[in-house]
Amino acid sequence: MRNYYLITPEGTKDLLFDECIIRREIEGKIHNIFKTRGYCELITPGLEYYDVFNVNSRYFPQESLYKLIDNRGRLLVLRPDSTMPIARVVATRLKDAALPLRLYYNQCVYTINPSLTGRSDQIAQMGIELIGSSSKMADLEVISTAIDVLSACSDDNFSLEIGDVGYFKEMMCLLDVGDDVKENIRYLIEMKNYPALNDLIDSLGDNRVNSALKQLPRLFGGEEVFEKASELFSNSKTDEILSNLKRLYKDISKLNSKGRITVDLGMVNRTDYYTGVIIKGYLAGYGEEVLSGGRYDKLISEFGYDVPATGFAVNVNAISALIAKDNKKRTKPCDVIVFAGAGFEIKAIKLANKMRAKGKVVEMALCDDLKSVREYAKEKNISEIVIVDEDYSGGEKNV
Amino acid sequence: MSKPLRIALTKGRLEKDTVGLLEKMGFDCTAVREKGRKLILQIKDANLEVVLAKAADVITYVEHGVCDLGVVGKDTIMEMNGNFYEVVDLGFGKCRFALAGKKGVDFYGGYGVKTIATKYPNVARSFFEGKGMDVEIVKIEGSVELAPLLDLANGIVDIVETGSTLKENGLEVKEEIANISARLIVNMVSLKLRQKEIEDLIRRIEENLQ
Repeated sequence: MRNYYLITPEGTKDLLFDECIIRREIEGKIHNIFKTRGYCELITPGLEYYDVFNVNSRYFPQESLYKLIDNRGRLLVLRPDSTMPIARVVATRLKDAALPLRLYYNQCVYTINPSLTGRSDQIAQMGIELIGSSSKMADLEVISTAIDVLSACSDDNFSLEIGDVGYFKEMMCLLDVGDDVKENIRYLIEMKNYPALNDLIDSLGDNRVNSALKQLPRLFGGEEVFEKASELFSNSKTDEILSNLKRLYKDISKLNSKGRITVDLGMVNRTDYYTGVIIKGYLAGYGEEVLSGGRYDKLISEFGYDVPATGFAVNVNAISALIAKDNKKRTKPCDVIVFAGAGFEIKAIKLANKMRAKGKVVEMALCDDLKSVREYAKEKNISEIVIVDEDYSGGEKNV
Repeated sequence: MSKPLRIALTKGRLEKDTVGLLEKMGFDCTAVREKGRKLILQIKDANLEVVLAKAADVITYVEHGVCDLGVVGKDTIMEMNGNFYEVVDLGFGKCRFALAGKKGVDFYGGYGVKTIATKYPNVARSFFEGKGMDVEIVKIEGSVELAPLLDLANGIVDIVETGSTLKENGLEVKEEIANISARLIVNMVSLKLRQKEIEDLIRRIEENLQ
């Protein structure tokens, strides 16, 4: 049976010509942004042991992982994320390297999505990890880099959002309920499910923390959010978190002139290994975030090396899809076609190479006679034909 | 005026209730009331573009961000899941999910694995997973009530409004699963990129619900 030999698996696709040009252009821009900030590239294997992603089973639910078994019966996965493998590398081969480490990657991640939802299972991602500093400057560096990436990939029609899970975590610490209920509350806040969150929290009784939690999903927008948040709930810890975040918000607002900078204190993803400031980037016209990241100071210690870190990943697929909507044609015809007469093949190849060295795109004609070369050149929109035979003297222009 | 917000409405009763709500808010919905066969309609004074779709498609359009907002029943949300914000319980389209079976028969009696017929396999699965109970789920497209009557299933998981269909067929509710009503959902990016317009609309909707 070979039912599936003409199609690609669900959630994957072939990229052709213009799609590749767009993808490589974006990659080039982002590479450049990362490189000029002193980041060094890392490539990790597409296959990893399941254990790398199983440090905390909540981060990567097993339903969403592509799994394989190696020749000794061990469980492997197609990497669902690049930060965990990089944490592994940092905690092993880079353990003695001078800090901070500035690392970047450009590789695919794989997730199993529910079928027929139109989502990609294979996503090209680029991202940075800044390892070894918990300073404010490190957060600023990562966020300003994120802004540069978003701005380079859109016509400045983007929005970057910052938050800090610490505010939410501190409130949850003060809440005297089981883990199940806490997870439920977190989920309802993440989904901004106001009605269900109200019902659940009302059932827990009325106090300061509870009424603040009810408002948490609404705490997003501009600078006014900070004031609202500190009115709702305040202790020494959250005050510090909020004032740091506010300072960061003001700083990056000064830095960025075009896109929009916003705050959301209700960003509380489950898959988070984040411990502090988190960021998300949105582009108009794409229904999900295209960039996400944040500070993950405890993650690398799961691999045995206690070092703070921060970073982000950007979804290159999403940006490509947005840019492809302009329907501009990007593939160009080649400049010259060289036709070799019998016995003049090597001479023709040498001549073609000479022209290529001058920057021309040169194709060799594979037809038997000049007439079909002319037809081919016309069809492919090639403007110049060069014939190499005994009376070769120069080029021939094709009209 | 800026680009209109696009809202997907579940065709049928929820559409009518939503139009009623929008009219209560003072918007002129003539275009939607006299829609003919058109699927995309304008409510100019509200700067809204209305898209009419089947319930499950409302979620799909909102998730992908081609519609900013949607009105859809909690039943569809529970069955489909997905990533979007569920911001308002609109209060209309009320009914409930329930487990039902033959009248007078103890559903949980005996050792055998129970068979459940349903149009909502995900809702049924997560309900029984929550109980740590193995069941066999059979998806039925039409009248689910038939399945226990024909002895294909021990019970059904379905939407119950008044319970009269169950009663007429010798079935009864064994257990309530969840209350259902229409919800306003919002695409995650739209809420962030068009915060003010969407929050204004949500506020006006909430004011008109009480």
